[in-house]
Formats: sequence, C-alpha cells, structure tokens
Amino acid sequence: MKTDLRAGTLSAPTVHWQQHEPPADVGLAPVLLVHGFASSTELNWMATGWVRDLNAAGRRVFTVDLPGHGSSHAPLEADAYAPSRLLQHLLDVLSRAGVRPRAADDAASGVDLVGYSLGSRLAWELAALRPDLVNRVVLGGMSAEDPLADFDLAAVDRFLSDSTPIDHEATSALLALMQRAPDANTAALLRLVSGIKTEHFAPKAAVPTRPMLFVSGDRDSVATGASELAALANSEVLLLPARTHTNAVSSRAFKQAAIEFLAR
Amino acid sequence: MIEFFSEFNEYWSIAVAEISFPLPDLGEGLLEATVLEWLVAVGDQVERNQPFVEVETTKSSVELPSPIAGIVLTLHGEPGDVIQVDAPLVTFTVADDSAGIVGTVPEEAAPKRRVRLSAVLDED
Repeated sequence: MKTDLRAGTLSAPTVHWQQHEPPADVGLAPVLLVHGFASSTELNWMATGWVRDLNAAGRRVFTVDLPGHGSSHAPLEADAYAPSRLLQHLLDVLSRAGVRPRAADDAASGVDLVGYSLGSRLAWELAALRPDLVNRVVLGGMSAEDPLADFDLAAVDRFLSDSTPIDHEATSALLALMQRAPDANTAALLRLVSGIKTEHFAPKAAVPTRPMLFVSGDRDSVATGASELAALANSEVLLLPARTHTNAVSSRAFKQAAIEFLAR
Repeated sequence: MIEFFSEFNEYWSIAVAEISFPLPDLGEGLLEATVLEWLVAVGDQVERNQPFVEVETTKSSVELPSPIAGIVLTLHGEPGDVIQVDAPLVTFTVADDSAGIVGTVPEEAAPKRRVRLSAVLDED
C-alpha cells in the first residue's frame, strides 16, 4: 500500500496533507478524512486502521493535519483557527489534490468526507457549503452543540499560571484531554479554542442536502444532540455498543459501516 | 482413521511451537491498556502485520498489528479486561522452524509514529 505519493504543504500557515493511494482503485471518489480536536492524522486515522481499510476497499484517501495539530503549523494568532479558516484549508487541499465538482456520469468525481468530533462539524459545514463538490458524508462523534463553546479560557489561564482550580467541569475535562493527548501542543490548542469561539456552530442554519451517516458510541457523553440533527438531515444513525467518544474511532464496526455507506 | 489422526496429532505437536506475545510498550509511560475488541478468533490464521486486537489506553485507541504469521491459540483476556505491559496478550502456534528465532515481540510490533514528510514549523 503506497502512501504519500503526493504530499504537500499549503502556505501561510503551513498545512500538512497527504494522499494515500489504494493498491487497486475501484474508481470511486476520493475520501477526505478530517480529524478531531487534540488529535491528528496519525492518531485519528493511521493508528486506528482507517487509512489502511479505506485503501484496501479501493478508495483513494486524503488526510490533513488541522492547524496546531500533527505536522501542521501552529499559528500564534487565534483568528487562524476560526472554523471558516479551517474550512478554507480543507478546500485548498481538495483543490490541490485535483478534486473535481460532482458529475452525474463520473463516479470518481467529487469527494466523500469522514469526520470525527470537531472534524465532523467541519464536514457538516463543508457539505452544506459545497454540495457541488461533496458526495457522501460520515459524521463520527458529531455534536449538535459545539463542545468547545463553553470552554472557560480565563479559568484555564489562571490554572496554568498559579494552579487555581477550574470550577467548570467540562473545561477541566477538556484540558485534561488536551494534556493527555500524545504530542499535543496545548498552547496551540488553547488558541484554537479561542478561534473556534469566534464562530458559533449553528448546524440548523445550514443543513447539508447530501447523504450522511451519523456514527457515535452509545456511551459518548460529548456527542450530544446528534440524533436530532440526523433526523433534521434525514440521515442514518449507527450507535456503537459500549463505546465512548475516545474509543469509538478505532471500532471495526464504525469503519465497516462507513466504507459500505461511502460505496453506495 | 482414528489411528491416523492420533499419529497426525503426534506429528503436529512436534512440528509446531507456541509463541506468546506480551502487550508491547505503547510509549509515553503507559503501563497498561484495555482490550476493546479482538479482531481475530482462536483458530484463525493471522498474517504478519495483520491487525489482531483493538486496545485503548488513557490517551487513545489503536489497533495492534501481529508481529508474526501464525494460528491463534489463546487470546489472553476479554473485551474490557486491563492488560499490563509485558503481560501475555496473545499466543500463536507457528511452524517449528520459525519458533527458535523469535522469542519476544520484534520492535516493529509497537505502533510507531509515521515518518513525517514536512518539517514541523513550530514557533512556540
């Protein structure tokens, strides 16, 4: 399985992306994978087997590290992490990768999306924004409410400077997640939270019309309100037994359902 | 027929060997991992590098690739069980001629970070 045949960086700020070629291309649209907050291409999609399984199913895969994550640049200004800027990076990757608008007579045209958590928010917005480009979408660990919106940045600043306890439970849980995450750049992640907060997630304001599959662990306490969104978007829902927000992503049932859904 | 199988089994027991693999060091000071799901069953033929188990640490969940080709003899634990690093994770039966040269998990069995193709421009 060849990977990295085409890899590149996008300027200002530098965003690292890769193309992963299947051993035998089945001629369907490529799949863009968008990782979650405090994760990376490596953690979200490589170590969990997603790229290998999609390649084995004959799908060409693009991965991208969001700013402040993985091998990408970590800009100093919070504005660089605003969701609209993140979406622009994804569109730039698709453009550089040669993705063409969907055409009825060409099964290889357009792009499929798989997101997880924050990546699902971005996939939802991208599908709503560019129905001409996006074929099908799998939304993993999707939340109707932005889990980062209530994050108490001031409390975290106090905690990091003089260990003042953080009262807000969700904030301290997210901070713990950031500090646990391998290779995570906590300072950049806090800038990302700050950037994310500048653009409130309003999923109902623009509901994608493309076919979507929602997948979550049935013990996921982060992904709230997804079933309502799925109903709104007339989409399918798969709940993974005994899985949480953290461990649903490597589930074989998740990968198999996504591969099957994207091949329809 | 019975005798044939008896002889066959005797032969088989000489021709194969059992090799156990412990849970590898997953890095970052982790001492244990929880079995999420076995991706193979007892009796399955597993190829080298084939993912055989999904485990969760406090930091992430990953698939582990098999360090060798073999037939699964024992899976040491049920989903939900916590396995300590260096405690037995899986036992394979393999052809005897390969048993003597492998006794521990080869280094490549542990999940590795991919080689990164572009420099990290980290200004912090």
